[in-house]
Amino acid sequence: MEALLAFTRPPLDWHALAPELTLLAVGTILTLVDIIWDEKSKQVMPTLAGVGLLAGLVPILTLALDGTDRAMFGGAYMVDDFALVMKALFLIVGYIIVLMSVDYIRDGDYYENEYYTLMLTSLLGMLMMASSRDLISVFVALELLSIPAYMMAAWRKGGRRSNEAGLKYYLMGVFASAIMLYGMSLIYGLTGSTSFSSIASAMALNDGVTAMSILGVLFVLIGFAFKVSAVPFHNWAPDTYEGAPTPVTAFLAVASKAAGMVALIQLVFVAFDNHEVIQPFFWLIAALTMTVGNLIALRQTNIVRLLAYSGIAQGGFMLVPFAVAGQASERALQAIVIYLIIYAFMNLGAFSVVLAVSRKTRSGELESFGGLFQYAPGLAVAMTIFLAALAGIPPAGGWFAKFGLFRALLDAGGAWAATLGVVVAINTVIAFAYYARVLGQMWFQPIHEGDERPIKLTSALGSALVIALVATMAFGILPGLVGHFGEVAVLSTLGR
Amino acid sequence: MVAQNIAFGIISGIVVFSALRMVTTRNIVHSALFLVAVLAGLSGQYVLLAAEFVATTQVLVYIGAVMVLFLFGIMLTKAPIGKSMEMTGTQWPIAAGVALMLGAVILYSLIDQFGSDRLTEGGKIYRTADVGDEVFSTYIIPFEAISVLLLAALIGAIVLARKD
Amino acid sequence: MAGGMLTIARILRPQRPTRQKLIAYESGVDPVGGEWAQSQIRYYVFAVLFVLFDVEAVFIFPWATRLEVYGLFGLVEMAIFIFILVLGLFYAWRKGVLRWV
Repeated sequence: MEALLAFTRPPLDWHALAPELTLLAVGTILTLVDIIWDEKSKQVMPTLAGVGLLAGLVPILTLALDGTDRAMFGGAYMVDDFALVMKALFLIVGYIIVLMSVDYIRDGDYYENEYYTLMLTSLLGMLMMASSRDLISVFVALELLSIPAYMMAAWRKGGRRSNEAGLKYYLMGVFASAIMLYGMSLIYGLTGSTSFSSIASAMALNDGVTAMSILGVLFVLIGFAFKVSAVPFHNWAPDTYEGAPTPVTAFLAVASKAAGMVALIQLVFVAFDNHEVIQPFFWLIAALTMTVGNLIALRQTNIVRLLAYSGIAQGGFMLVPFAVAGQASERALQAIVIYLIIYAFMNLGAFSVVLAVSRKTRSGELESFGGLFQYAPGLAVAMTIFLAALAGIPPAGGWFAKFGLFRALLDAGGAWAATLGVVVAINTVIAFAYYARVLGQMWFQPIHEGDERPIKLTSALGSALVIALVATMAFGILPGLVGHFGEVAVLSTLGR
Repeated sequence: MVAQNIAFGIISGIVVFSALRMVTTRNIVHSALFLVAVLAGLSGQYVLLAAEFVATTQVLVYIGAVMVLFLFGIMLTKAPIGKSMEMTGTQWPIAAGVALMLGAVILYSLIDQFGSDRLTEGGKIYRTADVGDEVFSTYIIPFEAISVLLLAALIGAIVLARKD
Repeated sequence: MAGGMLTIARILRPQRPTRQKLIAYESGVDPVGGEWAQSQIRYYVFAVLFVLFDVEAVFIFPWATRLEVYGLFGLVEMAIFIFILVLGLFYAWRKGVLRWV
């Protein structure tokens, strides 16, 4: 038997790991509280989870002030500015979703304690995803964030649709994981390494394009395309979004999608540099996702389904910069990060309004928004702002996201980028059509079932709404705010 | 090396045959058992490649644990044991076509990449201890994350499986 | 050898199946009901628990092979790992799904 090498203990940077450790500790405490007090602890669970998420923001702030990039395990786990921006986004989104969930879960009498434990677990996976620079870490992070989400989608146990939602999401999710894992094994076989930087240098040595490298890269990208519900890998999304509890839908449409995008960013901008394969792939997927998502959204009569398809289309917009990742890498990366941040708040806001309205009307149909302005003017104005943001109309935040997109395309230049720009423009117009339909319902239609009782906003849901509203408006009026995060993320990822 | 090659050939034959029977058999329990044969065969291949840890894991986790879940799943869903004609969907020719195409693409890329490589004797053998070194250094975070993942899976499964 | 002997025995032995002979043997009692009974969902939790600790065992192997080398660091890491999994066991016990009824 050959002599075994001496083992050196890996250095652990506790400060860098503090956000993850905080979430882990809070999750453990939640489970322990649940074990000890069982049902009696129901009341404190959302508070504990919310406080835990905010506590996680503290070390992120101190790390950001410190400013040094911290690499661990030979670069497999990286805490740089990109990771910090994304982690902060995940924690804030998680906090808003906890606020959105409180009353929904309590009124529905669903399992409460476990719901928050699973959500924290999923968020832990997302934090891990933001720092992972290695195939194995990325895969474990993806499973850690997905598996709790599969079960949360089926949380309304009594409802057929929720069961369908969970099962569909689960089956498509594991199928995508399997494809991705196969791609990862091909890439590992090709480059002999799981770390992104080594993969990049090994691929550059083999001058990138062999049948196997194409296959490996495509399989991995397709796996994540499922995750961000890009067409043609989107068919789970509408049913899952409609059937899942609405806060979970918001979680999937925002947090889960953002996590998929984070992984795609690291893969495309750091690990794979064979852009002659990646760019056409993303060109096609982005164009398809925008167009199909928007065209189907036009025909929806259920507001959650409409937001689901709108979310698919928005995902398509986010995929656009990947198609010019080679020529205009800085602008492209910046555009994606900015889009992600703004999208998170405007979409969460729209879902909050839907939650508030459906608490009263008990309906998910578009007609239930009829005459909203007459009996709940505040909500109607808020929804108008969120929809304007989603459509890209200033001064609400969305315009800056779209602006970043066009700037990246212009920077890249060339016929392909220009055609994609035209597709984006057409889709922006189509999207405006169905957002306007919701607006029309709220402002000009008669009141739904003549029920004029005002909507009582609970304090939790109200706070969620206010946070989303303030952020959406702030990003629209002071785009430098979010632009700064984009630049910081670019600097740390591309090292320029 | 010759003995290994022969063993590789025999095991490959068994695996391919079992895999085909797994998707064509009309009895769902037989299907599960053919899957066991496939997984066991793969475990044998890992042994031939001197990957002891992977082989053990394959037996422990897949043949042991995952198959238990499979059989439980079959028993829970009340699928009749015995032949059933609905086992093969109406779209099977499309599925077979896609599978064949995918197989061809993968096969081509594998041969294209590694077709001319020769295994040399006396290469580095990765023992369980080497795997341990990696787990306890480079991959310590994914390792700990897996325990959280398993806990979440258990809690979720219990919630979804409870009657009330 | 074994296979050959079984084959020979199969060819040589007399086969006269009757109805009585084909009934499943259940310790001398005639079987009741169909051959198929749906199992209960609560047993599923036991299967999941088994998978959980099976995976745990897989990770204990590489640790055990180099126990001394990893020293205290390895012990602490493994303790955290097992602690989190044991939480799951306690959870299952507290929620009363471990009762074998």
